Amino acid sequence: MQELLWFLPVWPPEFAEPVAFGALLLAGLLGGEIVNRFLALPRITGYVLAGIACGPFGLGLVEGPLLSEARVFVDLALGLIMFELGARLDFAWLARNRWLSAAAVGESLGAFFAIYAALLYAGFAPLLAGCAAAVGTATSPAVVMLVTQELRASGQVTERMLLFTSVNCAVAFVTLTLLLPLVHLEYRADWRSALLHPVYVLFGAALLGFAACQLMLWLARWLGKREDRQFVLQVGTIVLIVGLARAADVTVGVALLACGVFARNRDPGHALLPLRFGYAGQLLFVVLFVLTGASLDFGLLAPAATAAAAFIVARFLGKSAAILAFGPLSGLRPGGAGLLSLALLPMSGLAVVMVWDTAALFPAFGTELAAVVLSAVAILELVGPLATQFALRRAGEAGVEHRE
Amino acid sequence: MSPLPFAASAPLSLGVELELQLVRAHDHDLAHEAGDLIARLAKKRVPGEVKPEVTLSMVELNSSVQQNYVALLAELRAQRAAVCEAAGVLNLRVAGGGTHPFHKWSERRVFPAERFQGVVERYGFLAKQFTVFGQHIHVGCPSGDDAVYLTHMLMRHVPQFIALSAASPFYQGEDTSFQTSRLTAVSAFPLSGHMPFVRDWREFEAYFDAMRGYGIVQSMKDFYWDIRPKPEYGTIEIRVCDTPLTVGRAALLAAFAQALACYYLAERPLEPSSAVYQVNAFNRFEACRYGYGGTLVDPYARRRKAIGEDILDAIAHAMPHAVRLGAAPALSDLAAEVRGGYSDANWLRAQRGPAGALGDVVRKAAERWSAA
Repeated sequence: MQELLWFLPVWPPEFAEPVAFGALLLAGLLGGEIVNRFLALPRITGYVLAGIACGPFGLGLVEGPLLSEARVFVDLALGLIMFELGARLDFAWLARNRWLSAAAVGESLGAFFAIYAALLYAGFAPLLAGCAAAVGTATSPAVVMLVTQELRASGQVTERMLLFTSVNCAVAFVTLTLLLPLVHLEYRADWRSALLHPVYVLFGAALLGFAACQLMLWLARWLGKREDRQFVLQVGTIVLIVGLARAADVTVGVALLACGVFARNRDPGHALLPLRFGYAGQLLFVVLFVLTGASLDFGLLAPAATAAAAFIVARFLGKSAAILAFGPLSGLRPGGAGLLSLALLPMSGLAVVMVWDTAALFPAFGTELAAVVLSAVAILELVGPLATQFALRRAGEAGVEHRE
Repeated sequence: MSPLPFAASAPLSLGVELELQLVRAHDHDLAHEAGDLIARLAKKRVPGEVKPEVTLSMVELNSSVQQNYVALLAELRAQRAAVCEAAGVLNLRVAGGGTHPFHKWSERRVFPAERFQGVVERYGFLAKQFTVFGQHIHVGCPSGDDAVYLTHMLMRHVPQFIALSAASPFYQGEDTSFQTSRLTAVSAFPLSGHMPFVRDWREFEAYFDAMRGYGIVQSMKDFYWDIRPKPEYGTIEIRVCDTPLTVGRAALLAAFAQALACYYLAERPLEPSSAVYQVNAFNRFEACRYGYGGTLVDPYARRRKAIGEDILDAIAHAMPHAVRLGAAPALSDLAAEVRGGYSDANWLRAQRGPAGALGDVVRKAAERWSAA
């Protein structure tokens, strides 16, 4: 029989990556659609739930090796998002509206110091508390961007949410990098390498972002203002930055953020068209959130639950304080400041990547950091999108939604 | 008691309404933040008034009642500065022009006020498509009879105002080949068009009374005519102009309207003629499509004439009155622009360039509007 049917594959067949990719996409699509149709929740929540269902804490379809192989999709999706986020960091607006700058900077610093104080109080080592606070400063760029896109939101709360997210991500990257020397010293590295490392990581990334932006602008001028061609140009540049940053061991997120910032603020001839993700971006984002869901570690959650709760509450209070204080002065209408604070709640893939990067450098320290931060991420991954969606809808900034 | 009393107003007093586009900084599409902008301006001392319009992507500037061009221009400049300052705080751009070149009408959001929600309920998609931007010019009239006379006389000049103000060559992402595409959005409304050929205010009141009796209109606001009497203000209102790209040009158009009104009310050079209405649709189309280069039919002389030439003749007739009103330099400037073939529509087309994107057109229009 076997001789006769030699053309059939051996059982069980070996699945290659496309199968996994396709399965993740479809699982995410279904999850998103189901929660959106029946529970009126954001699709992102459905993607994450689908990821959890497929991951080690669910059916166990997606585990270890696939998760690390799929890192490339995570990098690409985050790459697109970080670049677009950088392009929302509008220095001219911050310069024109001083109270807005105060709110943006205050929101980042408030989150950092509130988390730091809370974790110190909970008995964590200062360095660990500092690194966790640095990661917690950042709002999830992917969640705020995708909820904005899904709701077709537009308005003051939306604009400021994106601006503040770009600022707090930049602050998070810089703070985390500045804390690196201390971690180095803790692990008894040479003080020279302890100092040079952060300089290299930060400036190397910024330089890479700048150079890539120059290349992109030069090509954009030559290509002209054609949306189709510029889309390919921008995605190509982003992928290139991801690869080069990885090869040079500089922070990928900083390089992309820097590229976006330069593209927005240093393009005098306005050669670049605004990037529209479209359907192509949608593919990557579904996979991003399914994978984030699959990689959520609920095993960490039980022991670290109190710390995670303290982390989340302190973070929210820290972020709200500055926004509530300066928001109304900066031209937000009454009620807008509270909604903006709520919209900035999400933490997600970016925090995971920051923890992974730190863990790659200092495995032992990374594990401790992961326990606190990733437990908080596990909670906010589910709560965050809801908070953002609620805030933008309540602010009256959601567009006409197409729901069957 | 008369059904539609005509309030007295200072003859030839002048007022302007300008509908403006609110544009997002990052992609130059229309914003939805009229509410935030108006709330912010409410706390400042701004001359005149800033009001909402049907969708959240537009605001309307109203000047106070002015007596002459110079004072009007000064007030419009002060309003422009205040609005741009407030918009800057919210990272919005403000621009003139009759249409936004590439916005999608379906994405517009209606201003949350009962009046505008009613418009949407009544007119469906027309309401959102009505996110177009016009300039209305009010000129004071001593009586209702004068208002009727002046409306008939100025109807003859509708193609001139269209050509002079044309600033909407792009619509829904395309070059329409028209100098102004805005007026087609107005024409879709059932009560657009023009005032019937009545002889005096008494006849007009009878017409209005009948229309109100049928339940077709409730007030004069319901008529979307090219020129309409506005009895509660004691003015006639010219509504065919696109919002120009600068407040300077908006004031020039108002000065031209005022000088023409003065010419007609002081000299009574012509009697109203139904011929004006026979050729109106044709003349109006020529002006929308070709601007100064169009050909209109002069209903009094019964001959065809280039619109540019027709404007220059009208400026010449009005000039002696402009001198008296202190607007002679303004009218000379306007005439020079007509001779030079300048129109805002041509300027907008030039900004797009061969490979240019419409986003650039909006960005440059906004820069031009806010330039001091």
